[in-house]
Amino acid sequence: MSTTDPYTIEIIRSSLEAIGDEMFSALQRTSMSPIIYETLDFSVGVTDASGDLITQGNGTTVFLAMIDSLVRDILAKFGSKGEIHPGDVFMSNDPYEGGGTHLSDFGLVSPVFHQNELVAFVVNKAHWVDVGGKNPGSFSTNATEIFQEGIQVPSVKIIARGAVNEQILEIIAANIRLPKDSMGDFWAGVAANRVGERRIVELFAKYGRDAVLEAKEQLLSYGETMIQKDLAALPKGVFTAEDWIDDDGITSAPLRVQVKVTITDDEFVADFTGSAPQAQGPINNSRTGLVSAVRMIFKALTNPHIPANAGCFRMVKVVCPDSTVFTAKRPAPVSTYWETQMYAVDLIWKALAPHVPQRLTAGHQLSVCAVILAGTHADTKEFALLVCPLVGGWGAGINQDVESGQFSAADGETYNIPVEITEARYGVLVEQYAFHNEAGGAGEYRGGRGVVMDYRVRTDDFVLTGSFGRFKYPPWSMNGGQTGSPNMLQVLRTDGTTETYGKIAGLPLRKGDVVRMITAHGGGVGDPKKRPIERIREDLHNGFITPAQVQSDYGLSL
Amino acid sequence: MRVATDVGGTFTDLVYYTNDKATGRPELRSAKVDTTPPGFERGVMAAIAKAGIAPADFAFFSHGTTIVINALLSRKGAKTALITTRGFRDVLEIARGNRPDLFNFYFRKPPPFVARSLRTEITERVDYQGRVLKEPALDELPALVKQLSAEGVESIAVCFLHAYINPVNEQAVVARLQQLWPTVSIIPSHEVTREWREYERTSTTVLTAYVHPVAKRYLEKLRGELERGGFRGAPYIMQSYGGIETLEAVARNPITMVESGPASGVLGAIALGRVTGDHNVIALDIGGTTAKCSLIDRGSAKVTTDYKIEWTRTNPGYPIKTPVIDIVEIGNGGGSIAWLDEGQRLHVGPQSAGADPGPAAYGRGGTKPTTTDAQLVAGRIDPRNLLGGEIRADMDNVKRAFEPLVKHLGGSLAEVARGVIRIADANMVNALKLVSINRGYDPREYSLLAYGGGGAMHAVALAAELQVPQVIIPVNSAVFSAWGMLLTDLRRDYLRTRVTPLTTSSPGAIAEVYDDMANHALAQFKADGIDLQRVRLERFADMRYLGQEHTVKVRFPDGQFTKESLAEARARFDEAHERGYTYKLPHDVQIVNFHVVGYALVDKPELPKIPAARGPASTAIRSRRQVDFDQHGLVDTPIYDRLALGSGAELVGPAILEEPAATTVVPPGMKVLVDEYGNVRVKVS
Repeated sequence: MSTTDPYTIEIIRSSLEAIGDEMFSALQRTSMSPIIYETLDFSVGVTDASGDLITQGNGTTVFLAMIDSLVRDILAKFGSKGEIHPGDVFMSNDPYEGGGTHLSDFGLVSPVFHQNELVAFVVNKAHWVDVGGKNPGSFSTNATEIFQEGIQVPSVKIIARGAVNEQILEIIAANIRLPKDSMGDFWAGVAANRVGERRIVELFAKYGRDAVLEAKEQLLSYGETMIQKDLAALPKGVFTAEDWIDDDGITSAPLRVQVKVTITDDEFVADFTGSAPQAQGPINNSRTGLVSAVRMIFKALTNPHIPANAGCFRMVKVVCPDSTVFTAKRPAPVSTYWETQMYAVDLIWKALAPHVPQRLTAGHQLSVCAVILAGTHADTKEFALLVCPLVGGWGAGINQDVESGQFSAADGETYNIPVEITEARYGVLVEQYAFHNEAGGAGEYRGGRGVVMDYRVRTDDFVLTGSFGRFKYPPWSMNGGQTGSPNMLQVLRTDGTTETYGKIAGLPLRKGDVVRMITAHGGGVGDPKKRPIERIREDLHNGFITPAQVQSDYGLSL
Repeated sequence: MRVATDVGGTFTDLVYYTNDKATGRPELRSAKVDTTPPGFERGVMAAIAKAGIAPADFAFFSHGTTIVINALLSRKGAKTALITTRGFRDVLEIARGNRPDLFNFYFRKPPPFVARSLRTEITERVDYQGRVLKEPALDELPALVKQLSAEGVESIAVCFLHAYINPVNEQAVVARLQQLWPTVSIIPSHEVTREWREYERTSTTVLTAYVHPVAKRYLEKLRGELERGGFRGAPYIMQSYGGIETLEAVARNPITMVESGPASGVLGAIALGRVTGDHNVIALDIGGTTAKCSLIDRGSAKVTTDYKIEWTRTNPGYPIKTPVIDIVEIGNGGGSIAWLDEGQRLHVGPQSAGADPGPAAYGRGGTKPTTTDAQLVAGRIDPRNLLGGEIRADMDNVKRAFEPLVKHLGGSLAEVARGVIRIADANMVNALKLVSINRGYDPREYSLLAYGGGGAMHAVALAAELQVPQVIIPVNSAVFSAWGMLLTDLRRDYLRTRVTPLTTSSPGAIAEVYDDMANHALAQFKADGIDLQRVRLERFADMRYLGQEHTVKVRFPDGQFTKESLAEARARFDEAHERGYTYKLPHDVQIVNFHVVGYALVDKPELPKIPAARGPASTAIRSRRQVDFDQHGLVDTPIYDRLALGSGAELVGPAILEEPAATTVVPPGMKVLVDEYGNVRVKVS
């Protein structure tokens, strides 16, 4: 029975939800790495003392299970032994236990106490630009064991009652390529947690333990109630999809993956049984990553707008045997896990798009299209390490064209790195950043346009790593639309030759070589012949399609 | 005579100082007329006529207007084209590629102001160090002009890569364009912003070009009307960064007036503080739809260029890199609607009943309960004194409007109304925290200065929540923003991105950039006929630790550039970083943006004092009524006529202080003092 009035409860709930925003901003504003401060490849959150998610601030969509599982890992390892104290900070980048991503993402967990009682955890998890391993930037497309992918930090206490364990930091710093930046990011993460901790302590002090805990419970049941309403509106039944992942980066064989989604009145079950086994190369995804993927698409399907908390996902079940490409086990390499994680999202998307078309578009570029360029800055002569994702085309909707030049669904509040900053910071020359006219994506509703971006390297020692999934299997279409165009990576050599890749690791470049990144057009929806002529005319006038495509795709000559 | 006019969305306000014939004392007078779109200058002239004054008598005329923001929000600007570096015309449409509405797969970016067919490219290139790699291919321009004029283009934005560091290619292209097409508006990026990040700079340039013809026409008409009325001085235009600027300069770069209204209120707060000694103030303006707040620390407000129009949590909006006073705005005002979502959570705002239909109490068709309606239920507003007495509240309609909430939430109407006020207050407290606590400023060291129609009503409760020790309700709180324009200096901001190590640079290298900017500023003031004796320059720097991207703005020491002054700048940065983000680092420090502010001091009227109180404050009590003070419950409360309270008057809450367009709510036990200028000061306990 409630002892606090509903208005006070509401005010506490809003304050709890606002904490995520504030932690997010603190980390972004102080980080040393563009992958954090521009790309916003990080997440922050608050859980209760048991690890249930209360609020989360996201740069990306696919970290939705990462915050609470990290806390549960810390609780299992330290909580059971009574080793969680005020002033402690725990650190982990373990992809298999709790973490769910790859070694590049470092999680920091701080317990929050009120009058000596553990009441909450504040957490952040951010992509460090380099964590060691065989390739600069740490992720590769051809590692065969996790030991090649960087230093492993499996849930350690990095700050004990306020005292920093300098030895551990020294070991980490000695194993990574940009220790100064990463140590800056470490402190930015600690600061973000402090901000969250301070706010929670203030809330408990002001409203008292019982009121805050009651508000927390109501927050979670509110999430559950809201999502239950949306679940009720979804079509019931069994929905399936299958697809092919290009390859594992080691051999050229494609990997078959599948899903069976069962929606009932009170459950949403995603069963990936039958998907390809764990691969030799680093496209493997771990189980926490799979749960995050399912939560992400479930959120998009049900209610994209309410703040995510543990209550929102109580009706979600994920089924998949161990040791598949979605549920790899130690010591499988996992550094480009997101390519496969996004397939888990996309399979459910593909299975349900025809049935929930008001929420789901045709297939989009899917891949984050990440490249790493590492080498000597032409002017400063310092080591430059450029890590960035690229925007691409989204699939058309059931009744409209959707977006061009936008980051993958795996990303979200993700910003491209400005050309002017890229040139200053990394010493390369950017020669174009524009929509392209590759074939694909025609339809009554046209797929969004992908982009082309050219980097010309200005020194002789640059190496290129890049992972552009959907190179062999372009984005899918619906209702007779055209499939999108593939993602691809090209190197234009100074001798006039061109090399084309979907995945490449550590490729040497010479001064004057151009790295050309081309991202997919999204899939089209509906027969292109049904597209109104004025839209075709407008597309032609704007140069989104060529006169030849007007003829070949739409059967017209304008 | 000194006159200021402020063109708002609904009303055009005019304030002026004149000497009272009997006492010789300066007196503030005001006039209010309807705003007259699209010919806004007619409203200005009507306000002058209504006040019964003549432009021939104006010694000073300052003007604020919403024309720029209106043209942007209603998409009523000029047909605009864009010229970029070859290969980069799509930067405007790709924008930053972000999707703040993370889980909405039908997300659409805000559409670009220039369609792709009007985005053109020319061959040219400058690198990040400002070296020209390719001269601009001017021979490409004639064909381009032909194409754009055939499309009916009225305005052209020119934005090239790295023009922030070396604008020579932009300048060459603009010069040639002017020869080829003398009648078109041309806005080059380097004249509106000198910061890096090509998307933000392109967006700024495009939006400036988009409003340029409209704004220029308006300003010229206004000047024409004033001159016809006999005005012989130079009109000044209020700027978003809290200063005024000459009409000619604004006509060249009109985007600088995009937020002139809110900025003038903050300026008023600064100017008032200069007289009364209140240098640490949180300024709060509560209107019908929104509440805006801004923090004034040691007499100055922060100015940023992180400004966006149409930004929401789910919409990236359009960035405009023009200096704007740092204001946090939330969708909570007197007209904000209280509503339940599907999960039965009670929210207040951001939807607003606005002025039409307005709150349910207006009886003009409003059926939803608003904050104003809740205040009426609580007895804080006199039902006979709505909208300055123009309307009598329809309390039956108010009850009907609250019925659904009462049914779902349970409890009485009074309890629900109290809850609505509490949630509206909590929303505003969060906004106030954003400008104070969240940025490392302790509200206990500030006063809360509240104005606008709703400021006085909420201020004391908000201050109590934040432990702000004092609330100030200024005289003329309803026309406070226009009043601020009478008290402001001419101000110009100069910002240049030039990434420079602070720790390892010689003082000479830093001096070179600042001196060049100072000389440029002084030359501009001189060219505008401003007496350099009245010009004062201040230096700022946007700094960061080596490796960081985001910067913190710090006041750079005045005087000679020495090792010591550089060390002082670093110390100030460390302190500001620690204040904002809880820690500092031993890393090297870089300056990213050099920022010079030039003030040309303007003569200002003296703030008039009010007569001393005669007799006890109780002589100003006009009536009594039952008022709901939340945790204090219903209290029999005296209603004071604020304008009858003299200097030095003291009273203790519970009290309601009424004046024509505002109501101050003072909870039981709090002490009120009227100062010598007529400001109401509430000691918050």
